[in-house]
This record gives sequence, C-alpha cells and structure tokens, in this order.
Amino acid sequence: MSAAPREGARRASWPRAVGIVFGRELSAFFDSAIAYVYLISALVLLSSLFMNEFFLTGRLDMTPFFDSLAPISIFLLPAVTMRLWAEDKKTRTFELWMTLPLRPGQVVLGKFGAALALYALFLVGTAPIVIMLESLGDPDLGLVLSGYLGAFLFGGLFLAFGTFLSGLTGDQIVAFVTSVLCGFVFVFTGHPKVIAVLDGMAPGAELGTWLADHVAALPHYESFVRGLVELPSVLWFVGLAGAFLWLNTLVVAKVRS
Amino acid sequence: MIRVEDVTRAYGEVRAVDSVSFEIAAGEIVGFLGPNGAGKSTLLKMLCTFLPPTAGRLAIAGHDVVSEPQAVREKIGYLPEHNALFETMRVRKFLRFMGRARGLAGEELERRTAWVVDAMTLQEVLGKRVSECSKGFRQRIGLAGALIHDPPVILLDEPTHGLDPLQVVAFRDFIRGLARGRAILFSSHILAEVAEISDRLLVLQEGRLCLDEGVESLKTRAAAADKTLEELVIETVQAARSGASPA
Repeated sequence: MSAAPREGARRASWPRAVGIVFGRELSAFFDSAIAYVYLISALVLLSSLFMNEFFLTGRLDMTPFFDSLAPISIFLLPAVTMRLWAEDKKTRTFELWMTLPLRPGQVVLGKFGAALALYALFLVGTAPIVIMLESLGDPDLGLVLSGYLGAFLFGGLFLAFGTFLSGLTGDQIVAFVTSVLCGFVFVFTGHPKVIAVLDGMAPGAELGTWLADHVAALPHYESFVRGLVELPSVLWFVGLAGAFLWLNTLVVAKVRS
Repeated sequence: MIRVEDVTRAYGEVRAVDSVSFEIAAGEIVGFLGPNGAGKSTLLKMLCTFLPPTAGRLAIAGHDVVSEPQAVREKIGYLPEHNALFETMRVRKFLRFMGRARGLAGEELERRTAWVVDAMTLQEVLGKRVSECSKGFRQRIGLAGALIHDPPVILLDEPTHGLDPLQVVAFRDFIRGLARGRAILFSSHILAEVAEISDRLLVLQEGRLCLDEGVESLKTRAAAADKTLEELVIETVQAARSGASPA
C-alpha cells in the first residue's frame, strides 16, 4: 500500500450525474436475472394474448395488444420498481447513495430512467408484431404509433409511482403489493362497470364518475389506443409521473434525516 | 479540517451523541474509541451528512454539513460500519462508478482507479463480482471506493473489521502514508490498534466525549502512573460513567 498525491473531488453536472445513476441501475437489472425474466415473461405473455386475439378476429391492428397491456402492467411494472429503493434500504447501500456527492433528485431520476429504459426495451421487443402486421397487409401505422406513445406514458406513470412506493419501505414485497394496489386504482377506476357500481353506491356523490374523471389512467390511455394524441392526456401522464418523482425525492431526502 | 461544535443527536429521549466538541486539523490521524452504542457511528454518520444533528454544528473543510451537504460530500471519503456495496457489480465496474459519481472522468478516472487498485492490492478480484469477494477484500474494495477521488477528509468506521493481521499492518502503514495534508478520523473498538496509528485519541462514552488527548501524552501519563495505556483509558471511561473527574 502506498500513498498518492492529494487532489480534489468535483461535482458532476446534473445530466452526467443522472446518467451515472442510470447506468449503474440499468446494469443492475442485467447483472441479475430481473431484466431477462421480466422481458421474456412480458413478451411471451402479451404476444400470446395478442396472437390468440389476432387468430380469432383476423384484424390487422394492435388495439387488442394495447388493451391487454393495461391490466397486465398492474403486475408487470411493480416487479421492476419494487427493488429500486427497497433493496438499497435492506442492503444498506442507501447510505452509500446518500453520502455520494449526488442530489436525491439525481438519484431518483437515474433510477426511474433505468426502469423506464427497461420498459422501453420491452416495447421495442414487441416490434415483430408490427412487422408481422405490416407484412400481412396495411395496418394503420398512425394508430400503432399513437398506441405505443400511450403505452410509454402509461408505463412511465406506473414506474413513477412504483419508484415512489419503493422509497417508502425497506421491503420489496410491501413495495410490490402497494404498487399493484395503486395500479388497480389507476386502471379500474376508469372501467365502465366499476364507475357504474361506485356511482350506484352513492347516487348523489357520483364517486365513480369523479374518480374516472380525476384519478383513472384508463380513459387517458384509451384515447391514445384509439389514435387520439391529446395534449391534456400527455400532460396528465407527464405531470402525475413528475409529481410522484418529486414526492420520491422528498421522501429520500427525509429518510436521510 | 473537521470541526464539531457542541453536537447532540437525540432519538426521542435517548441522546446517542451528547454535546460533543472537537477539531481535527489537516495532517492529523485521530482514533475514535468507545464501546458499542457509545455514539461513534452516529457521529461519523453526521459528519458524512447522512444524519443531521439535533443541535450543534459540524463542518468539513469549512462547509457546514447541514446547509452545504453537497460540498461536504465532495470533500470526504467515507467507509461506513457495515460497508454495504453493490453486490452484483464487478469490482472494476464498482470502482469506476464510485469515481464517476465523484466527478472523475477520462484519463484522471483511469489513473485514480489504477492507484486505488494498486494501493488496496485488488488486482486479483477486479473481474469478480463484489458478492464473490472475501470479507477482507470487500473491506478493501469499500476503502478503495472511499479514496478514489483523493478526499482531503477521510472518515472510516471500523476500517480494519474483517482484515487479517497482515492486512491490518498494511492498513496502518497505508493510513500513515495518507495522512499528509489530510484529516483522518477512524473508529475502532481496539485500543492497541488506535494507539498504533493515531496522533490523538477521542473516547466516547454513552454519547459524551470523555477523553481527547494526544497518544504520546497519554503514554507519558500512563508510564508516570505505572499503568498501561489500556488501564488509563479504562479508568477514564469508568470515571466518566460514574460522573467523577477523569484520571
């Protein structure tokens, strides 16, 4: 062991710091079996569901794929986010993160970005479906692209609240279960039957309609699946995801203290 | 370089650290001694910005740990007690990550990585995952990660934990070599180890600082009283516990 001349440390810029965390978290997915299991199971499950529907109807559009993506995301996306903070707390690497010269917001964005990149990789993995439809006829590519944009934004929201909920606990199972419950609320409050039941329970209050208008992600997502790219829906997804990431940053800073 | 002014950290009614004050200058190696639960790790966690103090002020290289945590983190190399590392990462990748997170890049990152690998003799485990490394190697990997950016202030919580006797000797030599221009504060349970490396000894007892004295001065006092250094320190701690004035 020998000593070296002393130099100083420097602060990484915001994009660079986020990129460093992003790289570390993305490689953590692939260093373990998480990424492979997630990508393979998600692709096999959703492709199978789509192909079944495709052979039954013979329609050249991806609407059935995007329709089944929403309820299945309730389980698939929390599997990605549950470890993001809970594992750090359990293995005590949280202390390592919080004593590096990185801001909590940079770590939150880097972790979220890695989860979003993994999800984007899954969406890219469904490209053979598009290629197959294209080779069989003339599907509406605008509708397909709109659906993909909706799926990306929808997934981004789920990953954002999953990251936030993972930051609240040191237990991955708790993070998974709470994220699944939260996902149920976001998806099923927009389901017509749920709206009708909730409205029926309290006719004057119209709770179901209120939840569908203000909380449900499904109506916003379905507008993309129908081919409508509406700015309010884009802003709704981005704004809500941003709010969860901001809350996550506050929680991380608070836990440290 | 390190300034602790009347610092208290309370958990409800319990004061883990109680009105502690000391200063450490550049070039000083200070050993932090005390039984389990004395407050050593809590104080180190406050110095590295992980925990805020309930009262008092801590500063590293002139930067307040509460109001300027980012600046403080740039100046410190911290090895936590449990030395948690990213288990699935390969050692080379982990060291490069630690360097990049401290703003190192390009040739400088390569140079500093090569230096810590050489200093900690990590060559044989560079391609291994952290989880595959022995306890001694893990400790050295943690230390390498803490030193990669060449920090002027080094905070080490039980740094020799898990090292074999030869590695402990090498560690002592290494720390002595590092001391020039740096402030080093390290905690340990073992008095002989602390006395061997340190210029000064701080002893915490139930959150209170009951001894702050140079090692040479302590040795002289012990010899004059015909006691061993260990006996003198134990007597001081016991006196602090019973509320009497220290020896």
